Amino acid sequence: MSRLTEFLHGGLRVCASGCTALLFSVAPPAHAASENVAQVGDWKGIGRAATPAEVRAWDIDVRPDFKGLPKGAGTVARGQEIWESKCATCHGVFGEATHVFTPIAGGVHSEDLKAGHTASLLKPTEARTTVMKLSHVSTLWDYINRAMPWNAPRSLSIDEVYAVTAYVLNLGSVLPDDFTLSNENVAEVQARLPNRDGMTMDHGMWSVKGKPDVRNVACMKGCAVDVKVASVLPEAARPAHGNLADQNRTIGPVRGVVTAAQVAGTAPAVPSQGVAMLQLANKGACLSCHQIETKVVGPAFREVAAKYKGDPKAFATLIAKVKNGGQGIWGAIPMPPAQSLSDEEIGKLVRWVLDGTPQ
Amino acid sequence: MADPMRIRAKMEGDKTVVRVLMSHEMETGQRKDSAGKTIPAMFIQEVTATCNGKTVLSAQWGTSISKNPYLQFAFSGAKAGDKVVVSWVDSKGDKRTDEAAIAA
Repeated sequence: MSRLTEFLHGGLRVCASGCTALLFSVAPPAHAASENVAQVGDWKGIGRAATPAEVRAWDIDVRPDFKGLPKGAGTVARGQEIWESKCATCHGVFGEATHVFTPIAGGVHSEDLKAGHTASLLKPTEARTTVMKLSHVSTLWDYINRAMPWNAPRSLSIDEVYAVTAYVLNLGSVLPDDFTLSNENVAEVQARLPNRDGMTMDHGMWSVKGKPDVRNVACMKGCAVDVKVASVLPEAARPAHGNLADQNRTIGPVRGVVTAAQVAGTAPAVPSQGVAMLQLANKGACLSCHQIETKVVGPAFREVAAKYKGDPKAFATLIAKVKNGGQGIWGAIPMPPAQSLSDEEIGKLVRWVLDGTPQ
Repeated sequence: MADPMRIRAKMEGDKTVVRVLMSHEMETGQRKDSAGKTIPAMFIQEVTATCNGKTVLSAQWGTSISKNPYLQFAFSGAKAGDKVVVSWVDSKGDKRTDEAAIAA
């Protein structure tokens, strides 16, 4: 046995004895934790089940059918005392305040109490109050119990919550001054609420199948096919920001419009008469044989002009020649008819040639 | 007859603080209804408060006072248990008088 093995054996023995001692101390909690594991899934050893007392303290909600409402009672008069000491600072002595919160009471009329709908909710100019909108007493009771007073929530006793609820409804002209609200008559008070029938559930906020609160319809019919340019920048304003072509990036599908000519201060590129006529002559293939000053195959335009100067029939003669072709006047080489030019274009060209080909 | 006023009167030191919430439309005569017709003016014109037969507040109001007006004022010379009487008269002659005992 080497020294190393001897050391390991000794060490293991110490470890084993140490572990045994350790096991004794952790075994009971480890066992308890494994029982909890069954309830909380995979979170082994984390947390513990809430005790019934903790669940009771947390489970304070009161439902519209008054499930969860604790037993108790409170008078309007007691509610007024609590209100004026703890609530009036923010909500106003009569629940009328608008400087901190929206008013609690007001806007309810005697007809609403019969109708079960608050008519003033339909008036856009009417300020909305809590009592106007309230459709369930349980909501008011639960809210006061859960969240009020703002600086000390849950500080009111059960009976005090009943009293304040009664006083709020008294401010809202729902309950008389001498009323005592309790868990026994709360359903009867529910039946007196002005907006008791004002709540709707037939909409998408309650059910996926309900009517949505927007009515957007995708039509996809009669869509526009062509783009119609409804307005353009006036010529004078186009170069206002320099040459847009230089300012837009040169990659991607969109290019800037060239506004450079206008930037330079020159007139827009309308070709002069001479250039236009030369373009026209080129279109008619005239320039293969004719030039302005120099005889090439056919005579120069200036020569033609000189030959026919003063001849009143020249215009008609030359039109006929250009249109149908000609031969023999200037030489043996024939001129083919200009088929690619219209009569109007031929007329313009002949007039230009006879005028001496002005620039 | 209009809805009753809500009145709270309370001793604060040697002064009595009175808070009143009146229920009144306070029509200015400049609003129009949905048909475009002018709604006739109807607003509280006179407010008086008395305590033990003595007038402690008297006011002339006009159309700049809001709907359902809230009024708060203080006066001296009264003690807890005395009665504060508040009354108003509007531009159509409608009247309302309510009272409250001063709380300690």
